[in-house]
Amino acid sequence: MVHIQEKFNQISPSEFFYSNRDLAGFSNPTRSLYTAVRELVENSLDACDQKGILPNVHLTIRAVDPSRPDPRQYVLTVRDNGPGVDADHIPLAFGTVLYGSKFGLKQARGMFGLGATMAILYGQITTNTPVTVHSSVDGKTEERFEILLDIQKNKPVIVKHETRPTSKKGMSVSICLEGDYSKAGVKIRDYVYETSLITPYATIKFDDPKGQTFSHSRFVKEIPPPPTIIRPHPHGVDVERIRRMIVESQFDIPMVNDAMIRKICKELHVKKDADFKRVMLRTAKKWKGLTRHVRVILAIMSFLKVELDHMTRIRIEDVDTANNLISYWDFATSETRSAPMDPDSPYYRQLASTVQGESLGSFLTKRFQRVGASTAAKFSEFAGFKPEKRVGTMTNKDLVGLSESLQRYEEFLAPDSSCLAPLGADPLEKGIKKFFEPDFASVVQRTASAYSGFPFIVEMGIAYGGKIPSGGPHVYRFANRIPLLYDEGSDVVVKVVHDMDWARYKVKGEPPFVIVSHICSTRIPYKTAGKENVADRPEIERELRLALQYLSRKLAGYMSKRGQAEAARKRANLYAKYMPMIAQFCTELAAKKSEPAYQKVLGGLTKELGLESAGSDAGNGTGGEGGGDGGDATGAADRAGGGDASGEGGGLDADASAESAGMKTFDDTASKTPAKKKRRGRSAAPTGPSPASPTRRGRAGSNAIRSGANATAKKPRAKAGRSAPPSDADAAAAVVAVAADTAAAPSKRMAHNSDKRRGRKGA
Amino acid sequence: MAAGRRKAGKRTASKKRSGVSAATKSKQKQKAVLDNLKGHGARIYKDLDAGRFPTFSIPSRSVNNIVFDGPTRQYILGNASTTRSSRNSSQLRSFTQLMWLAFFANRLTREKKSSTLRDVYYSSQAFAIEFDNQAESDNIIVDLEAVTSKPREDFYIFPEERSTIFGDLNVEYTIPGYEGKTMNLSNHPDGYAIGPSLTTAELVDTSAEIVIAIEKGGLFTRFVEEQIDKKFKSIIVNTGGQAPRSTRTLIKRLHDEMGLPVIILTDGDVYGEHIAMVIKSGSANAAHLRELTVPDAKWVGVWATDIEKYNLPTIPMTESDIKRCHDLKNDPRYAYGIWRKELEVFLKIKRKAELEAFSKYGLTNITDKYLPQKIELARSL
Repeated sequence: MVHIQEKFNQISPSEFFYSNRDLAGFSNPTRSLYTAVRELVENSLDACDQKGILPNVHLTIRAVDPSRPDPRQYVLTVRDNGPGVDADHIPLAFGTVLYGSKFGLKQARGMFGLGATMAILYGQITTNTPVTVHSSVDGKTEERFEILLDIQKNKPVIVKHETRPTSKKGMSVSICLEGDYSKAGVKIRDYVYETSLITPYATIKFDDPKGQTFSHSRFVKEIPPPPTIIRPHPHGVDVERIRRMIVESQFDIPMVNDAMIRKICKELHVKKDADFKRVMLRTAKKWKGLTRHVRVILAIMSFLKVELDHMTRIRIEDVDTANNLISYWDFATSETRSAPMDPDSPYYRQLASTVQGESLGSFLTKRFQRVGASTAAKFSEFAGFKPEKRVGTMTNKDLVGLSESLQRYEEFLAPDSSCLAPLGADPLEKGIKKFFEPDFASVVQRTASAYSGFPFIVEMGIAYGGKIPSGGPHVYRFANRIPLLYDEGSDVVVKVVHDMDWARYKVKGEPPFVIVSHICSTRIPYKTAGKENVADRPEIERELRLALQYLSRKLAGYMSKRGQAEAARKRANLYAKYMPMIAQFCTELAAKKSEPAYQKVLGGLTKELGLESAGSDAGNGTGGEGGGDGGDATGAADRAGGGDASGEGGGLDADASAESAGMKTFDDTASKTPAKKKRRGRSAAPTGPSPASPTRRGRAGSNAIRSGANATAKKPRAKAGRSAPPSDADAAAAVVAVAADTAAAPSKRMAHNSDKRRGRKGA
Repeated sequence: MAAGRRKAGKRTASKKRSGVSAATKSKQKQKAVLDNLKGHGARIYKDLDAGRFPTFSIPSRSVNNIVFDGPTRQYILGNASTTRSSRNSSQLRSFTQLMWLAFFANRLTREKKSSTLRDVYYSSQAFAIEFDNQAESDNIIVDLEAVTSKPREDFYIFPEERSTIFGDLNVEYTIPGYEGKTMNLSNHPDGYAIGPSLTTAELVDTSAEIVIAIEKGGLFTRFVEEQIDKKFKSIIVNTGGQAPRSTRTLIKRLHDEMGLPVIILTDGDVYGEHIAMVIKSGSANAAHLRELTVPDAKWVGVWATDIEKYNLPTIPMTESDIKRCHDLKNDPRYAYGIWRKELEVFLKIKRKAELEAFSKYGLTNITDKYLPQKIELARSL
């Protein structure tokens, strides 16, 4: 094991990523700018999530020299109101690749230290500029660092460091990198927009290089419960993972910081400035009462022969029992040093047993989730090991056997899902309603499930109609609260959506509907390193399918209700359209002067159809007006015709007798107008004043019906008609402020883009 | 018949004798139609005014309700009728269409403005009445015929097909602008189109003693050239295939009003036989109308038996010809007499002959030889 780690250290992780940066999504200026934005924004959101802080994230991208064409240098700054990072850790966190890898499992957007450091590394490679980090942990003082990475040594180089007073907590990371905003802009805006959908408790502001501001305010005030860090599930580990866990247990050598020093002093009953001799004396005396961590530190100290205080300035890298050497990194001199261990020392055994690790039984119960003593014992028997076996003494072959047995053993309990942090059905539904303004929305959160020992939860929402453009289903994919924008075609969610037989759910043609899918897991099975599409694991596919089927049934219910309401409205419109015509025609046919009071018929009908006056009014406008006009025109023409006939001596028609023919025409046109008015007045009475255009009236009526019949549609659209301005609430949802002097083409594109997303709300 | 004769051997319309003028008669007919329509309008108006949904009762034209009437030897509608209600949302549209048509027919009739079926289809659009296509509006026209028991020609709605007539017949027009004008139908050798003006004209008098209806325009011209009208004192009608209803109406009037016997000459095939049958006893399509048939009309040829008798050149029957034969065998009108006999001979020989087949023996063979024999035969039938 020790041997392996030495080998690993020979290649600097920084150097590895330097030569393979496209693996992490830094393949070209467009993709790199997008990935850098993502990594920094996700770091900020993760940091806030961990401390339960409602995040305010401010993303700024600014061209260093706007007169140059893309690709060019940009300064990318992400500021947040998170907990910050204390000054001690900033250089390591931002100047080392693979710093502080976590063995605990919980859902997070990214593994801190890899993505952000890659962005910094990429910036440094392309512009040779240090990263600027401002961090304030307490909201009083701010640490400002400018850091470069020593790629070959994987060490930070602090270019500048100062401390200043501040009034704000949080952190700001600013990197200069080569990018292509003209190409990446669409994706970055989509990313910000979709992130705000899946992070409704965050306020995200984006100032883009063209001077436009995209601001998404939080509309949910509660932060979802944060995930707990859990141990891995036995099914979720492989040989390499077990190896690393064992190494971790062997090198369970705690960081020595001020808190640890205080603890040691307390247990030894010594003062902080006690010298080496006195500390060792007290150690020998108090040994039995000391806690394990303190014992390990003191044992090492005994070999290094340094003052207690000095222990804070080194990092133990290796305890090599084969060669009886301790190697450590000295911060003061920035080099690796080593000290010999005396095998005869009483402290040697302490370190040796630490290195050999714990027993298999204790390893299983302590390092894995949901494994108790009896399960561990049963498993040990199953795997053919003694529970007392020290894991540190296991051979390679033993490890492979252990790993295989862990996979095969079926008695382990299902993975713990407390490490997951789904968004929750309510915030998701709120978000969907806010962003898409649909007529119908439904959300489901499935219970936790697991694949290969990794727990996951599927959350899904569906929205239909309203301001959603047709041509659906539009699929919005999220994983661990990250929007997935690239490589849609090969994603499992898209596959499941396309496999659905939508006609069965009364969804036809190119419907206006949206599907939002969110997969939460401790490990999302991405197909590629770029975190863009989820592979189709059968367990995940099944959960997605069940969620989608559930929502589709809800949608089908809505669709049939909507269909019924529409049919009733259509019927009402039909009568409202045809009845006035019938009245008009039969009036002339029966040679009557005024139309029959057919409104009685319509009135009875409205009640019968269970429609309030809205429906019949809608059609009445059209039919009534058209009919009225027709009546006038034909009335006049008719009189003329009648006059001719009677002139010949027929006298067939009482109305058209010769002497009064001329006058009648006059009379009739005059008397018809009030009749028409009267009729209109009557029909309008139940609904109040009749608006101007019949088509608009029709729409108002139909919407009223729809909202009346369908409880899920939230707000009745009282304001019909195209000219209605967007409400204040709408404006708050996503203000798209377009600078007045913006160039036409890109702003058009932007406007189009946001139109597509949010229906037809003007920019 | 003898009573109808006046000096110079001219027959006059039987009603003429009562001294009623053509104009008055036309007026009376118009009034009857208008009254009929107005009755429907008044009924619907009353319903609406009383808060009731108006309805139309339409005699059912479904196959089940078309029955063969023995005494009149034609297809008529049975007693079944359907109600088209404005209350039923699925009938509302067609109810309105029918309502509109009654309204529109009322105007046409009152103003004596003729229109074609196609005109009706387009006129509807001026009133925001939607017809998906002309077939739909044609269908509503038939509905109105059924409701009022009057042919569409009475409402001044005419089909587009035109057939022609030639012969010594004086008519008096009643259409606006030509009222009182008379015309002799032998003045123009190409014949006169049987259109709205002729259909509505009064028949004044004629010297003819027989009506010869012939299926084909070519033969019609031959007959005019050979002065069949004079040689046989006849009025020649070209039916142009299946006789349009206006033509059938005119033939009926020639028979009923002028007392002329009618003979029919068609191609020697099953379709020709049926053309004759429709003139004689109507079609199932027009079973709702009773004034279109000439039960006394006689089909004189070309019979299946003539094919052998006159040794005519023939063409083999097609499969659809044969199928048609079998279909007609099930029709009660073809159950007896010459109709049955010829049908069976057609089925036996499985060949057919056109009227033009006589040209094999010279262009005038049909008029010189065949026609005289057939007229003679008709007298004895």
